[in-house]
Amino acid sequence: MDVLSVIFSQLLIGLYRGSIYWLIAAGLTLIFGVLRVVNFAQATLLVLGGYTAYAIYQATSNWVLALVMTPLLVGAIGLAIEVTLLKPIYKIDNTYQLLMTFAVVLILNDVTKVIWGKAPVSIPLPDMLKGSVKLSGFNISLYILIVILIGFLIFISVIYIINRTMWGLRVRAIWRKREIAEALGIKTTTLYSAVFFLGSLFSGLGGALMAMFSPMVPGLGDYLIVYAFIVTVIAGLGNLLGAYISSIIIGVLESVFTYYLPEIDLLLIYLIMAVVLLIKPQGIFGER
Amino acid sequence: MVDSNRRSTIKLLVAGGVGLVIGLAGGYALAPEKLREVVKETTVTVTAPSTQTSSSVSRRLSKDKIKIGVLGIRSGVWATYGTFIEQGARLAADEINESGGIMGSKIELVIRDEAADVIKQARELVDQEKVDFIVGVDSSGNAMKLGPLMPELNRILIVTHAATQRLTEELVFKQGIKHIFRVSVPTYQDGILAAWVAKDLPIKKWAGINPDYEYGRVSWEFFKNTLKALRPDVEFVSEQWNPSPGTTDFSKWIGAVMGTDAEGIFTSNWAGEALTFHKQALELGLYNKVKAVINPLGYSMDVAYGLGKDYPKAQYGTWVSGRYVWFYPPTPINKRFVDAFVNKWGKLPPYSAETTYTAIYLLKGAIENAVTLDFDQLVKTIENMVILSPAGARWIRPEDHQAVYEVPYGKVSSNTTNVGGAVPLLENIKVLPAYMYYRNPPDYGAPLLAQA
Repeated sequence: MDVLSVIFSQLLIGLYRGSIYWLIAAGLTLIFGVLRVVNFAQATLLVLGGYTAYAIYQATSNWVLALVMTPLLVGAIGLAIEVTLLKPIYKIDNTYQLLMTFAVVLILNDVTKVIWGKAPVSIPLPDMLKGSVKLSGFNISLYILIVILIGFLIFISVIYIINRTMWGLRVRAIWRKREIAEALGIKTTTLYSAVFFLGSLFSGLGGALMAMFSPMVPGLGDYLIVYAFIVTVIAGLGNLLGAYISSIIIGVLESVFTYYLPEIDLLLIYLIMAVVLLIKPQGIFGER
Repeated sequence: MVDSNRRSTIKLLVAGGVGLVIGLAGGYALAPEKLREVVKETTVTVTAPSTQTSSSVSRRLSKDKIKIGVLGIRSGVWATYGTFIEQGARLAADEINESGGIMGSKIELVIRDEAADVIKQARELVDQEKVDFIVGVDSSGNAMKLGPLMPELNRILIVTHAATQRLTEELVFKQGIKHIFRVSVPTYQDGILAAWVAKDLPIKKWAGINPDYEYGRVSWEFFKNTLKALRPDVEFVSEQWNPSPGTTDFSKWIGAVMGTDAEGIFTSNWAGEALTFHKQALELGLYNKVKAVINPLGYSMDVAYGLGKDYPKAQYGTWVSGRYVWFYPPTPINKRFVDAFVNKWGKLPPYSAETTYTAIYLLKGAIENAVTLDFDQLVKTIENMVILSPAGARWIRPEDHQAVYEVPYGKVSSNTTNVGGAVPLLENIKVLPAYMYYRNPPDYGAPLLAQA
């Protein structure tokens, strides 16, 4: 088999995995940029999204409904978490907010265990997405293509909202200099809640998409968050363009390493992160 | 002077008397179990409650109750397997108790979660629960931890699932730990017999996607080495290792294999991970690209029920097996067992239910033959024992205490049967005599590799 087709098949799977990482990293980056909180629960919200989608599908057998409702529900749950658990402690040191999000991870893990049990659950892949598309001689799973496409659309929309709308301008203002933005009359509290809602919504969407392909198990988020952190560390915390590009890079590299160096594929990802941190501690796309 | 002398003499006498009493009591307590009544005849063991399992009814053991500790994984992603072990153990214990117990003594099961520190659980079973025997153990890692402890616990352990060949080859044969027996097939089934199946397929290029721990590594090694000896023309084009437990997304490994020109896939993933693997392999198009898939534990009942009629079928077959498959052999003993199991639990029996069921009947048979609970005599009795079990005749090989019996491989068929859910049937059943694929003591070298 020629090198080109190997790279092509690995590239697609890598793009798929990268797109899932991106849906976690997007929320992580947004929330860190605006709230200055490293949200440990970002991947746990994705898993919660998977379970929520599963529950909706169980009740209605309608995967489109699950795909639409889940992000909104998880967004609402995220909003509730922000308002009840984070808002009261914004005044004290950021470390406590980070600890609080870690508490959320533990709580959500156990809540999913109580509600859905320990056995893996998943949504059967809808027949509509089961097919494959022929692209220059290769059969590509339709599902994989759709996930890649949705990831890309989310990226475009977020960039558009942040850079081209009035609301985005306010977000950027806080992102840059919080005190000055507040002095200019921008309501930070509502904006914080809105950003947290949006970040949780992306995780929910990721979870609903993922549950159609790979099963959800309690604690899956603990493993995914590590990848999302690697992505954001390489990108530089708080950089959306960087987060998207580095999600894709990590996803693809992971696949390529698995093909060429299966014995040490996991190690290599950490090695890349270590090298980036040593050479450019603020991340490839980071400022400062 | 005289007075004190007399006093010390009395003291001495009293002390001696007390010592004697303690000694007697201790000696009595430590004395081997004895029978209350005398033996009349020897027995033939059949794992059926209705059939006459022992020809003498007047014999009794010194205990009214025989306690059996049952270890299985009861928490985490493999928790279903602990349930399977429990179901088999309960069925056997209930059948035996309803038909008079073991020589009049009832069986009492004490079930523990081996995932919650197997050593601690085993110690508690022996020290607090005072069990007479331990059966079960799902994980190879746990079996290797528990094995070396058995002489200290001074109990017989009958392993009914853990598959690493090291348990019997190293712990029993090389280190001489006589306390361990195994009634389930070891990795010979998963690696070596799988290669015999692969040999007859028109496939030259194989790839492996295996769980990254002892069981997965050993199975793949056995498969590769045996197949290479049987078919020198085959190539192994890719070796992938997924973390286990914990893999929910196989895409990168499936993708890596699809990037090669592999025509056949060998995967020793099992339980939920096998289920996920087959689904994702189908969805990513691996099943269209490769011509055959071999999954040694692919006919474990959780996987078979989980995939049902949608179990993916490769062009030259998806070949699967277990440590027992419910339809083989078609004997009255097996049929009765399957019926009883379905009756009690509503589904077809998973393999570890059968192995645990058999383990308990094996203990019954051994006690009835030895007519004692004495450790040395029981070990001697079980060595070389033959038991007619649901999975067929099992012979307990005396050198390494491994049960020798045969389990077939088969091709997943598009026909299903419905017993509490749809289960695909198997076709093109392949059975090989055990001597052709079991590794044998003393050297455990390559088993007979007769050229086909």
